[in-house]
Amino acid sequence: MTVVEPPRFVRADGPDKVTGSGRYTADLTLTGMLHAKFLYAGVPHARITNLDTDAAERIPGVLAVITADDVPDVRYEAPLADRTLFARDVVRFEGEVVAAVAAMTPEAAQAAVDAIVVEYEALPVVLDVEAAMDPSSPLVHPDWDSYETDSMVAGHNVASFSSIAKGDAAAAMAAADTVVKRRYVADSCHAAPIEPRAVVAQWEGDKVTIWSATQVPFAAHSGVCATLGLPESHVRIIVPHLGGGFGGKCGFHFEAHVAALAKVSGRPVKLVFSREEEFRAPDRRREGMIVDLETGLSADGAIVARRAEIWIDNGAYTADAYFFPQLAAMHVAGPYRIPDLEVKAHLVYTNTQPSGSVRAPTAPQACWALETHTDELAASVGMDPVDFRRLNALEDGDEGAAGQVYGEIGLRRCMESAVARAAARGPLRDDEAIGVALGWWPSFPSASGAYLKLNADGTGRIITGAQECGTGAVMTLRQLAADELGMEPEDFQLVYQDTGACPWDMGATGSQTLLNNGRAVLEGAQEIGRQLKDLAADALEAAAADIVLADGKAHVAGSPDRSVTIAELAGTAAGGELLLAAGSGTPPEYPSVPATCVGDHGVAGWAGPQFSCHAARVRVDRDTGVVRVVDVAAAHDSGTIINPIGAHGQVEGGILMGIGQALTEGTRYDDQAHQRNAGLLEYKLQTAADAPTIDTDFIQIPDPNAGPHGAKGLAEAPNVPTAAAISNAIKNVIGTPVRQLPMTAERVWLAGQEVDR
Amino acid sequence: MTFTIATSVDQAVDALAAGARPIAGGSDLVVGARQGKELLPEDLVAIDRLAELATVERTDTGIRIGALVTHAHLMADALVVAQATGLADAAALVGSPATRNVGTVGGNIMNGSPAMDTGAPLVVLGATVALRSASGSRSLPIGQLWDGPGSTTAAPDELCVGIDLPAIPAGTGSAYVRLEYRRAMEIAVVGAAASVTLADDGSVALARIALTAVAPTIVEVPGITDRCDGRTPAQCAADIGEAASAAATPITDLRASDTYRRHTVGVMARRAFDAAARRAAGESIAVPVNRALGVGEAL
Repeated sequence: MTVVEPPRFVRADGPDKVTGSGRYTADLTLTGMLHAKFLYAGVPHARITNLDTDAAERIPGVLAVITADDVPDVRYEAPLADRTLFARDVVRFEGEVVAAVAAMTPEAAQAAVDAIVVEYEALPVVLDVEAAMDPSSPLVHPDWDSYETDSMVAGHNVASFSSIAKGDAAAAMAAADTVVKRRYVADSCHAAPIEPRAVVAQWEGDKVTIWSATQVPFAAHSGVCATLGLPESHVRIIVPHLGGGFGGKCGFHFEAHVAALAKVSGRPVKLVFSREEEFRAPDRRREGMIVDLETGLSADGAIVARRAEIWIDNGAYTADAYFFPQLAAMHVAGPYRIPDLEVKAHLVYTNTQPSGSVRAPTAPQACWALETHTDELAASVGMDPVDFRRLNALEDGDEGAAGQVYGEIGLRRCMESAVARAAARGPLRDDEAIGVALGWWPSFPSASGAYLKLNADGTGRIITGAQECGTGAVMTLRQLAADELGMEPEDFQLVYQDTGACPWDMGATGSQTLLNNGRAVLEGAQEIGRQLKDLAADALEAAAADIVLADGKAHVAGSPDRSVTIAELAGTAAGGELLLAAGSGTPPEYPSVPATCVGDHGVAGWAGPQFSCHAARVRVDRDTGVVRVVDVAAAHDSGTIINPIGAHGQVEGGILMGIGQALTEGTRYDDQAHQRNAGLLEYKLQTAADAPTIDTDFIQIPDPNAGPHGAKGLAEAPNVPTAAAISNAIKNVIGTPVRQLPMTAERVWLAGQEVDR
Repeated sequence: MTFTIATSVDQAVDALAAGARPIAGGSDLVVGARQGKELLPEDLVAIDRLAELATVERTDTGIRIGALVTHAHLMADALVVAQATGLADAAALVGSPATRNVGTVGGNIMNGSPAMDTGAPLVVLGATVALRSASGSRSLPIGQLWDGPGSTTAAPDELCVGIDLPAIPAGTGSAYVRLEYRRAMEIAVVGAAASVTLADDGSVALARIALTAVAPTIVEVPGITDRCDGRTPAQCAADIGEAASAAATPITDLRASDTYRRHTVGVMARRAFDAAARRAAGESIAVPVNRALGVGEAL
């Protein structure tokens, strides 16, 4: 069932972005501004034996050359502080920053970078996640034990381990009628936002203002304070329009490097990444993963046991990946009834680019492995894949992987909706098939706050810490406030993306913006509503409880003619008590889970769990292995849908990103851990011309323990089951799964050749 | 550093004689410089305003395509679509709409990439390249233009002013087919062009095949007409694919392995041959073949 209510367009930032009048960080120019360039390690693992910046400093126009010696000796990132701003003694991946330069022109800065003398003693390269865990493997972090950590379960080259244990998986497996055991391997890939990141920093006295292309201004703020030793009040982060993120701009990245350059040079400094730098340097690659899955079935096809082991490539530093093992463990269990379960997941250091939260971290790969495996399970007992899921998928009141008991959930309705709509799109050609995959994803409750005010003319302003990364979630806050006050979204302007003016926010991460900020804005709007009703009660000589706010007016209930406009009330207020409110609201609660979770990082019990099903129709050129996705029927339970245009956009974007992961996007490394396709020529994103027909249905079940009006998150969930659905569709055409991700044309062709032999 | 805007071909070739390099759309030169592949030349002569090089015209012997004709122009030009359909197929697959609007056919062939899309169809269509320098003019068969990846036999002071295509015999069709992993912004992984002339009885009278991105230059597969041996297109299609695979000397790189390229170039050659033969028989297959027949999907 598609949404039938007339959708409202609430993207205040849309016209600026489309016409080019919007300003991004790289567009900023300040008087006297210098240009920054970084010296990167270029080698995967080495000890620095000599670092000499003298020649670089003598190049005309160069005002600052800084290294680890020029910033406080601070190891940062919580809850596992395993890195420093600049390499100290050892470099651990090719994109590690060794030195930074600020100069009058980008060319002079680059010349200075080239003039820095650095000599290395090569150290052994750790590249294979399984071999890395062998006690004989060299360590990426020999001093790991001295790092500041909180609640990590570590091992040899393992930064973080998590497990889920429920029942007795070994005994149940031994008693199973059928056991299927398979390995699935996913390459790492990239968020690839179209705007490469940029940072501008300017000091005034001992205070610094930083403009940054970040999804998480408050995390960047904390990072600057922690690494440069500044009080929170001396730092302000402002985000101009952000040109996409997809998780790649989560985390604290280069704000402190640029601030340090600006401090040393005494000038404003701007850093703008090239596309290649955007590929190599950030600690936000989507993690490569090996998944071993073993599942036992009873004769009737019911899942009786599962054992799984997961190796996640952490790269050289942990960034925010510490919770990935637990999240991946949840995703290889999936939204199924599994009485006896044992999952072990390792986050393993290697000398590659650090992994971090890219849209639904771990989930697309883990879901791809699980759902490809699920179709193999169905085949092993001669069942139709959808019937197999009908037998085993979670229902209302069922207990999930970690023992959480779910209330009313839309999982099965999602599946029936997607399957029916995919089939209704017409008969299959000989080279076509439909593949089905189920997905799930949590919502992330967090503290949040908002200020609201009405101006003297009755227009309003929302001051929110929320960050707009392109989803439209921040823009939807206007709609929530307007609906609450009987006003129009266009009546509100936003102050946002400014840590100096706005309440703290987690940022554009974890699909949390509308979930948490919506709650805060709603509470603020309700307070403004009370203030308006008090004013209206005086003006209309009625009880405040009888005042209704609608159509830009306050009227007495039952007497629409006894009214006063909100603009008039706001004018009255301007001379006395201002219309001003702060909202925060109470976040949803995290459910507790009874299963044994070692390495628990709070992502086994899910508030506002989201469910989904994608049914993808693909066409496979059997002669070449080239796959085209013809259409995708998607169904999502993300609770109440507040902004239908935005919600459809999220699903469509998530699917297109999922197609890229499925078919063409994968980072290739050489044996010295260098990325070989660090650019858009050889790293193949999907284009608009590749987009399939996407038909989306929202199964709207308001969730009382979630966001405003029962909404859950939505930004990440649509990215979860797409690659999995495509995998199963390809299998249905060529007769075998492709157990490698991405399922490139050559891999599909090779898999088909195996079947033919 | 100098930048000369040429207002005549004579002025342009004089600038070349003085050491300048020509620039038209800049879609290879500027992109390459920005990527650090090669610095921009010290001296440039802009030839993009030479209107006399931007036309497609019928000549006594066939068609003259000016060096500055863009891919967008080629793919829609009635004369090209009718008589050099494979070239239109290729032009329609180059890059994106933006690339096709600024990129020129002269730039494409003089850049000398073995992955160029217009090269293979020009080979099977029997094209000759017209070169001008301050000291004179010459023309050479296009197959003799390239001598390695990114390298041509043209002297530094020679300007490509146009491409001449001979008139095609009755019953001739051509096509270009490319393996592509996505539908825009793609570079040939492999590709193949075919030209087929049918005899009155429907048998193959003449046929040529040329291959993209499987050798240091665009290469022609020799002896295709003989291989067809008077059979119908349907009877010889499989042989064509085998001959193409055998003629390929591909490399392994990020885009594909040598094994996969060798296999798929045979598939592309078979499909190009099939489409060219169908066009020769009078069937209308819209430009480009890749979209009309869903190549990259399944035929």
